[in-house]
Amino acid sequence: MNRTKTNPAEAEQTALDHILATEDPLVPSSGFLASVMERVHEEAAAPPPIPFPWKRAIPGLVFVSGVFSWSAFEVVRRGLPAVSTVTLAVPHINAAAERPLEEAGWVAFALGASLLSWLLSRRLAGRSGLL
Amino acid sequence: MTAITSAERISRAENERTDPDSADVASVLAGDARAFEAIVRRWQGPIVNMAWRYCRDRSRAEDLAQEAFLRAWRNLGQWRRESSFSTWLFALAANLFRSELKRFPTVTVPLDAAPEPARSAAQHNAMEMDQSSESVRRAVLALPLRYREPIILYYFHEMDLGRAAQTMGLPEGTVKARLSRARALLKRRFPHLEAEHANLEFSTLNTGKEA
Repeated sequence: MNRTKTNPAEAEQTALDHILATEDPLVPSSGFLASVMERVHEEAAAPPPIPFPWKRAIPGLVFVSGVFSWSAFEVVRRGLPAVSTVTLAVPHINAAAERPLEEAGWVAFALGASLLSWLLSRRLAGRSGLL
Repeated sequence: MTAITSAERISRAENERTDPDSADVASVLAGDARAFEAIVRRWQGPIVNMAWRYCRDRSRAEDLAQEAFLRAWRNLGQWRRESSFSTWLFALAANLFRSELKRFPTVTVPLDAAPEPARSAAQHNAMEMDQSSESVRRAVLALPLRYREPIILYYFHEMDLGRAAQTMGLPEGTVKARLSRARALLKRRFPHLEAEHANLEFSTLNTGKEA
């Protein structure tokens, strides 16, 4: 280590370098190699993962995408004439809107129930190790 | 898989003759799982030490190192021989350690709460010098990961910036900038480091002479 540097910043760096670079090496425990090799042999002996059966899945995927495409086409085909007949209607005010406090209560209750169910599912997933 | 030319085949054969890692990897890929033992034997020290620098917990370091070797075993075929085996192995290990420590961070104190070595006239023996150095090393763990990793790898690779950058898979300039920031943070935490270190070294030398 060069100790003749006069710049204080350089000198400080030298102390830091000295501390961080001179660390006693850690010797792996005696069983480390054996435990790694045990796991390697376990993996080597395990059967290879079953590949995804693309050959069988492809016809099904093609069929499903065909059904979706056809449905989408039909929806658009039947919907287009209906669009031309749409007229602007005066919005009808729901009778329920006349009781805003009661409605807000129900909305808050629904939001609370959703939040509770979300928290519960996260907690269950966390315990199962999924999160 | 692309076909390899005869020149590449000759070059690989030459590599396998001169480079033990290359030969062992070829044996493992040919189905000899036992050849992997030589690789683990050769690299267990550096990988365990690298993991230790990431977490400073011996038992966890060995667990992390074991996972790194298993990952290397699974992905051995991905080593393209464009870089040395050690470069590939260190990069793989660093990726694993980084992601594992993000999932389960080490328990550290905030950098500002890291104990600064006490400055007193009584600091005159090697044990105190060790304690002082250990405080600094522990403080490295309290740095944000983006600054901690360049520090860990730079000193792990014996202050070779290029190798640290290769291991992190980042440009040298980026690693240099982060290293400089990390040093600045450590210097701010330990403002009297140089003076104390010099004093401790001086008193240790004197004690040695007296003895």
